[in-house]
Amino acid sequence: MIKYSVIGKATRNIDGVAKVTGEARYTFDMTLPGMLYGKLLRSPHPHARIISIDTSEAERLPGVKVVITGKDTPGGKYGPWRRFPELMDEEVLATTKIRFIGDAVAAVAATHEDIAKKALELIKVKYELLPAVFNPVEAAKDDAPQIHDGVENNINITRHIEWGDVDKAFKIADYVREDRYELTSQSHVPLEVHDALASFDKSNGRLTVWTSTQSPYYVQLGLADALKMREGDIRVIKPHVGGAFGGKISTYPEQICAALLSMKTGKPVKIVLNREEEFAVTRRRTPMYVATKIGAKKDGTIVAKEVKVISDGGAYTALGSTALYLMGTYSNFPYKIPNYRFDGCRVYTNNNPSSAMRGFGGPQAVYISETQIDRLAHDIGIDPIVIRRKNGMTPHYVVPGQATIESCGLHECIDKVEQKVKKWGKLPKYQGVGMVCYGFMCGGIFNWINTPYAFSGAMVRVNVDGTVDLFIQASDIGQGSNTALAMICAEELGISLMDIRLHVADTGITPVDLGAWGSRQTFMTGNAVKAAAAEIKRKLMDVARIKLGENIVYDLEAKNGRIYLALRPERGYSYYSIVKDAIKYNDGEALIGTGHYTPHGKGMVSPAFTFGAQAVKVEVDIETGRVKLLDIVTAHDCGQVINPPAVRGQVEGATHMAAGYGLTEELISEDGLVLNASLAYYKILRYRDMPHITTLEVHTHEPEGPFGAKEAGEGLTTPTAAAIANAVYHAVGVEINSNPLTAERVFKALKKNRAT
Amino acid sequence: MKKTLELTVNGEHYEVLVEPKTLLVDVLRDQLGLKGAKRGCDSGSCGACTVLLNGKPVHSCSILALQANGGEILTIEGLADGPNLHPIQEAFLDHWALQCGFCTPGQIIAAKALLDENPNPTEEEVKIAMNGHICRCTGYNMITEAILDAAKRLQEARR
Amino acid sequence: MSYHCPVCRKISPDPMDLARHFLGQNDSKHKDWLKTKGLSYGQIVILQVTEFGNKGYETLAEIFEKEAKVGD
Repeated sequence: MIKYSVIGKATRNIDGVAKVTGEARYTFDMTLPGMLYGKLLRSPHPHARIISIDTSEAERLPGVKVVITGKDTPGGKYGPWRRFPELMDEEVLATTKIRFIGDAVAAVAATHEDIAKKALELIKVKYELLPAVFNPVEAAKDDAPQIHDGVENNINITRHIEWGDVDKAFKIADYVREDRYELTSQSHVPLEVHDALASFDKSNGRLTVWTSTQSPYYVQLGLADALKMREGDIRVIKPHVGGAFGGKISTYPEQICAALLSMKTGKPVKIVLNREEEFAVTRRRTPMYVATKIGAKKDGTIVAKEVKVISDGGAYTALGSTALYLMGTYSNFPYKIPNYRFDGCRVYTNNNPSSAMRGFGGPQAVYISETQIDRLAHDIGIDPIVIRRKNGMTPHYVVPGQATIESCGLHECIDKVEQKVKKWGKLPKYQGVGMVCYGFMCGGIFNWINTPYAFSGAMVRVNVDGTVDLFIQASDIGQGSNTALAMICAEELGISLMDIRLHVADTGITPVDLGAWGSRQTFMTGNAVKAAAAEIKRKLMDVARIKLGENIVYDLEAKNGRIYLALRPERGYSYYSIVKDAIKYNDGEALIGTGHYTPHGKGMVSPAFTFGAQAVKVEVDIETGRVKLLDIVTAHDCGQVINPPAVRGQVEGATHMAAGYGLTEELISEDGLVLNASLAYYKILRYRDMPHITTLEVHTHEPEGPFGAKEAGEGLTTPTAAAIANAVYHAVGVEINSNPLTAERVFKALKKNRAT
Repeated sequence: MKKTLELTVNGEHYEVLVEPKTLLVDVLRDQLGLKGAKRGCDSGSCGACTVLLNGKPVHSCSILALQANGGEILTIEGLADGPNLHPIQEAFLDHWALQCGFCTPGQIIAAKALLDENPNPTEEEVKIAMNGHICRCTGYNMITEAILDAAKRLQEARR
Repeated sequence: MSYHCPVCRKISPDPMDLARHFLGQNDSKHKDWLKTKGLSYGQIVILQVTEFGNKGYETLAEIFEKEAKVGD
């Protein structure tokens, strides 16, 4: 067992003092001298042609500085998919038609937010209403209204994954079952809404944008495309972010319009969404209609699985295509399935776009897979834990054509959770336990933005005064990546965490990083940081070795402010005297190390995977259908833990979001209008709804990860909804094939069960 | 027409001109530069704007500034004693009871109000008192633990 | 034996593989060719993603077996 000096030890959040004192500044808090306030006018219709827009009355309102519409933008389309330009289907402001309730058609900048709001009311838009469609199955029919020109049947993308011979395997299986599911939409609900502050400098044609984002780099590129500017003339800075969860991963109208308004007025312009906009017009989790078939031998060995999915894409591609792809990937995790077929298609509808949300297709996949496997176990007459053990992935397993699993602690996770479940003992009536297994990626090998740069970069500068500057573009959105990455740097360099000064998430000074998505920061940026620090450490060790004059077989160590012989610690030098020497010996050049990381030779999905098991205990009130969460235990294999409380924080936070997906959260819309666009009506679980959560660590070592580390941010969003559904199934015998398991759904299912 | 508002905030006396419709949270943030209290929603549902008004926790987004006229307000910026953090702030840091931090000022102020009134709460009492605060990052339990630990630290300090 | 895509001439070893290639193309030329056969892209895709089996691909593969075979 390796002993580390920094990593693996509980460490306070390095941004913590700023946050607990109220000093931390979010884009939401920022102001600049002379700043104007921007607002977006949004379409009240789900599908319509724009006949005319009259902004004259709005322009005359005192305090209004400029009003822009589609004709005032550089034109063309933009979106995250530089790799496949036909999928870049968004306009900054709609020019000829709008495609969902909330599509932006105009923007206003005024001296006060209230004046900007008033100006919106004075803009007159004439629409020609078009027939709209909201269900993806309906939208794919030949007679459905066409939402995007040239896209027949509104089919946005299709995905096919196949190995083995599924049809043959089903024929010889002892047990086969089919299940169909309808999975609903969920909203990210970050506490800080989407916002942007843009400032255009007319003297040099350069733009600076501060925004609440998961990826300053993606915003920079999106702005460059939409504004037809050079990327380098745009600087995107991420201040503290009040949560993102997948909803702030791309470039959005408020960012582009703030920039345009600033260009036109010569003043900084800030646009902040309100909470209703946050719910109704930003992205959401991808709803899916799923048919799944599984075949097994009588001893529980799975022989084949087939999954068919239609997803509701909403009005634009966004990153909903990746969510569909990952649905196909995760629907065979974490089991060894010799014959597999996945077919999915994403269909445009006139709802708001569905895109990335924490879990990224994983919660959907685990829901259908883990509820089905429980029922299969019941059909066969074997224990649900036994069937999971029988088929669970193991280290070095190859997922055909997709990925190689190196480290895999799945079975240890199952063992630990099983022990805890046994301690819960025999349960009273109407209580039940549901257990679920999952696997998740450590960042995706996806380059939708088509960047030539490495996926993560880092720069480290070690100074003679005992301070170290670490430059990273990784985005801390609350998960604690600033702290984890600084810890990795300190560990590799052999210095104290307190000596590190972070420079983060500023495209003007930090090296390219794809940002926080797919749970990639600790793993991918961690590798880049470790490489940068290792480069410096090598230089320092070379200098120390020469000065010590010992035989090269003797190892050196760097720890506690010294560099010394490992076997004779008294023989060494102060760390920073060696730093000074290294600089002097190199003609005074500053001591800078750079590192980067892009996965290579790691298949099509991810360079590494985490695994886990979770059990949830519930009690069902059969009078009302209300489900109460009583206890949750999770065992998560994230390789080497970098910062233990941060991992626990991620487990518990992700469990809360996943429990919401399973129990109370549903973005309800009718004819394209979101009906519960308020925290009063969109039900987030509260203090009293969350039970005790036990997190059990399973330690493996992932050779590809920094110090053997893996992810702990998104994988945990995948199991809980399914575990709740399984627990309810075991408690009261109802099979529910949709989510969330609201009291009404459970009540209706109980009533139906009693009737049959 | 603007009216004069008098407030004592974190021990300092202020006199500002406000419109009758101005909310307390906007005065604190925009006119006094105290950005700790946040607007997280438009329905009084999240608790991120919580400050103490005359010792009681209130949603500053749901109070007109003039309703607080003459009152004493404590915001998150007034909790630490110079460079010395309050035990609740220390406990939050030690227990990783914050992640993105956007809800944190409101949570800490509400925790202070709870512990001022009930210095030795049970876990259930903490959850009931804090139930009006939404956190999207932590799942709440680590915050509850921090508050219970803060209660212990405050009791130690009193001895 | 090989099969050529009637639109872009991509070569596949068997008609099912060619059908997979064909339905993966997002451009109007491929979709228009389906119309000449009295089929719609939407119908085939929906068939493939709602019914178990490979019904969408099989519909196309049958056509390719007859019309897209090249040489021996």
